[in-house]
Amino acid sequence: MDRVDGTDHYEGDKQGPGPSLLVIVLDTNPHAWALLNPTLPLSKAISNLLVFINAHLASHNANQVAVVASHCHRSVWLYPRPEPPSEDVEMKDNAPALNDANKYRPFALIEDSLLTSLRELISTTTENDISTTNTTQMAGSLTLALTYINKATLLFSDSNVTSEPMSTTLEGPENTTGLQSRILVISVSGDLAHQYIPIMNTTFAAQRMRVPIDILKLAGDTVFLQQASDTTKGIYMQLRNPQGLLQYLMMAFLPDQTSRKNLVAPTQEVVDFRAACFCHRKVVDVGFVCSICLSIFCSPSEGAICLTCSTHLALGDYGSKPAVVPRKKKKKRKLNGGVGTPSSRGGTPMPNE
Amino acid sequence: MASITKGSAAYKKKDGTLGITQNEKSLQWLPLGASADKAVTIAIADITNLQQTPETAPKVMLKIFEKSPDAPEAVTHLFHFNSPSNPRGEANAVKDVLTNLISALKAKDASVPTANGSAPASAAMAMASAVTSKQGLVAAKWFDDNALKVDIELQQSLMKKDPSLHGTYMEALRTKPDTISNSQFNSQFWSTRTNILRAFAVETSQKKGSYNVLSAVKPRQVDGELKMNISAEQIQLIFNQHPLIKRVYDENVPKLHENEFWSRFFLSRLFKKLKGERIVETDGTDPTFDRYLDATADIGPIQRLLGLHIPNVIDLEGNQENQGGSKGGNRADFTMRQNSVAKVPIVRILNSLSEKIMANVAPSDVDPADPIGMDEETFNALALRDLQGDSEENRIMLNIKQQSQFFANEKSEVSAEAALYAKQVPAEVLSNMRFDVNPQHMNHRVGGGLDLSSAIGVIEDSDSDEEPEKKVPHVGSKSSLNDAKDQILEGVKSRRTEIIGSDAQSSLSGLSQKIFDRLTLTHATTTEFLHHFWLVFLSGDPDRAGELAKMVETLERAMDRINSVANDADAERDEIIRRHKQQIRDHFERTGKKLPLNSSAIGGGGKVVREMMEPTIKTLHKATKEYKKALTAEGIDTS
Repeated sequence: MDRVDGTDHYEGDKQGPGPSLLVIVLDTNPHAWALLNPTLPLSKAISNLLVFINAHLASHNANQVAVVASHCHRSVWLYPRPEPPSEDVEMKDNAPALNDANKYRPFALIEDSLLTSLRELISTTTENDISTTNTTQMAGSLTLALTYINKATLLFSDSNVTSEPMSTTLEGPENTTGLQSRILVISVSGDLAHQYIPIMNTTFAAQRMRVPIDILKLAGDTVFLQQASDTTKGIYMQLRNPQGLLQYLMMAFLPDQTSRKNLVAPTQEVVDFRAACFCHRKVVDVGFVCSICLSIFCSPSEGAICLTCSTHLALGDYGSKPAVVPRKKKKKRKLNGGVGTPSSRGGTPMPNE
Repeated sequence: MASITKGSAAYKKKDGTLGITQNEKSLQWLPLGASADKAVTIAIADITNLQQTPETAPKVMLKIFEKSPDAPEAVTHLFHFNSPSNPRGEANAVKDVLTNLISALKAKDASVPTANGSAPASAAMAMASAVTSKQGLVAAKWFDDNALKVDIELQQSLMKKDPSLHGTYMEALRTKPDTISNSQFNSQFWSTRTNILRAFAVETSQKKGSYNVLSAVKPRQVDGELKMNISAEQIQLIFNQHPLIKRVYDENVPKLHENEFWSRFFLSRLFKKLKGERIVETDGTDPTFDRYLDATADIGPIQRLLGLHIPNVIDLEGNQENQGGSKGGNRADFTMRQNSVAKVPIVRILNSLSEKIMANVAPSDVDPADPIGMDEETFNALALRDLQGDSEENRIMLNIKQQSQFFANEKSEVSAEAALYAKQVPAEVLSNMRFDVNPQHMNHRVGGGLDLSSAIGVIEDSDSDEEPEKKVPHVGSKSSLNDAKDQILEGVKSRRTEIIGSDAQSSLSGLSQKIFDRLTLTHATTTEFLHHFWLVFLSGDPDRAGELAKMVETLERAMDRINSVANDADAERDEIIRRHKQQIRDHFERTGKKLPLNSSAIGGGGKVVREMMEPTIKTLHKATKEYKKALTAEGIDTS
């Protein structure tokens, strides 16, 4: 390959850790932020986040960042902003902020774009939007983040001609020279049980792509985000003191994957592995799983028919009343037609074929 | 001619009745409603072999090999038991009577050839069927939980291989309540472990097949003399795989000494050729063996293969004449060409060796009940399916429903957060938010950008450590940052102990290895009994209620056992403390200095035991509570 573009002098850099892409998913659920307002207003959180973003960008000259807002009814890109549909870009907003001599221009660009998008998002939110829901589109935002990461990874390996061709399979050995991506979720709302399946799907996609999902939990509690970080080997932190947000960001979430190999992650060790049932979206301790389609239910369905795939299931001995008194009469009758050999798979519903 | 034992069975697709005649001399099949001239009668004395479909197979068929003294070949009869009510039972009845009669006959007349040796042609077949039928028997056993549970031999050998399981078994056996008999205990113990038993049964019944024996024999040169170890089985295998060597051996061994034969053979060119190695000029010659170099020797198994009926779809040789001639065209690959033995000897040798090895292995996928000749499967393989219409899909349909349609309206559970959110007025929420992100309120600098250094609220010089109560904590205050740092460091610390801190010493928590082992065993047995309890308790079988009461007793005793371990641990700890005190006293007497006794630094003791067993103790309580609840529900006082 002819190195006419003069990338030769980057050769030495190749040995060092590669750049990393940080995709931040910011939960902008208005309900949750209103509750959090006395301790940590959104504006303060954004300022802290901007400092964190700047720190991330400063730690490697090729580091990238992207921010998605997970709002109450939609997910919106805050940075990079989507191309405006019309040609004429409003110049009056951008001009003054970007001409600030005291600010590094890339930082100012991100700050400007992020704030503009956020204000737009909030100004377009209607009362109706807020009153009709109390959750946030976390699963959608995670999906957006993953697609962005995928695109960025491909783009990076394309443009980087000096690097070896990236293996197409994402499961290959960890590449240290390629773009390292991670997702940071700043979550304020709980109650994501309704999005259990999509969230778990994105989690497993992230696991396959070796993208850790870090969770910074300002308020609320969500079982599934904890599982997401655990599955993808990310960091989960439930903040004891939301006012120290900056400290948490800089200390726990700034190191990229390369550095994390040498650090002990401050993640919480107890993970709630419970799942939500498919029928009522309840988080269940004991669930019933269809052996055909693996749907989870909180109670055996009526007539032992799986609600999802309509398979007839045999429940075995389950649910029979415990018999503690021996039968007085010598009448032999076995309940449920049980064979009397409950093996270790006694309780597993089997397809009734 | 009424039969004693009979069953309805189809023969050559005709319905009829199969039975044994009253004089017990022959087996008779009478077609349904037809005249007796179509009947089939087989003399029991002529039956050389019986085959039956395995117990698990849906079709019940009995195959009878008949060979009358004057007939050259055995004739097979296949009966398909098709009684609507109980084909298996009828088949078994007929078969049992037949086996009894045959064995009685054989005992009387020793000259009757045994089934396996009746005719050389059928010997392989009989052997194959013997293997398959035995496999069928064992396979049936794997799937039967009850058979596994009563197979003491299997259990014993499994425990021999797994000492920890043996320990659990012995401990549980020792501490079981006297009211449970040994056999009851045994079946309970194994009923929870049928999966392990099954895996073990499968594992032990697997055998190694034959291997390329010539490459396994490694002669070595010792003091200029060739030494080798060759066992009788290996010689057997060599003869099996290489009939040529058998021939050479036959023709030469009386003349040659046996040892000399083998040692010369392993140096000969013939050996190299059979092994597939290239023969080089420097190889020594041996007139005895070199004579056979060109012998197109190994036709034995090939012939046997040719004797087999190979379906045309997979018969490559059948297509040979369709190739485009030897000169160009679709010339076969050189490894496939007839006369290129010399060019790629190793490939050919390995191929032919594999062929030979496979020829000696009884096929495992042959259903003994299949009729000889073209079976249905072969016919299906030969049929031109492309010319037929679309075949019926043989799949289980999964009707996946869109889940949201039946869940969306059910917001039954409202979480704590959702309840809080519901209290808020949407308009207020929105206006607050808009106000919050308003450029005027976000520490904007004159230029329009955000003044981050003031926005994050960190004041470099603030000394909030000294006067914390004076200020209301704000975002980025020193106290909050310190608190955050503490939390992160706590997380790091607990992670670190998790990663590196779990060495052997600390995992014992100060208990001695002896006590700890006892505790492990107690834990294992307790879990064992809990397992049994829940199995019986949830079975809902009133016949097992008595057993259940005994199980509850056992659980109570399990608690006692934990306590006794705890007491012993306490005693152990006391002993250690006593020794420490003694040391301190000695030290005091020697030096006059008093050392402080730090008893909290000494680990172990009953407390640690109870901490370790806490989850188990909880489950024990839970089990007893559930049992009492069920008793109360039945109206029985649980005083």
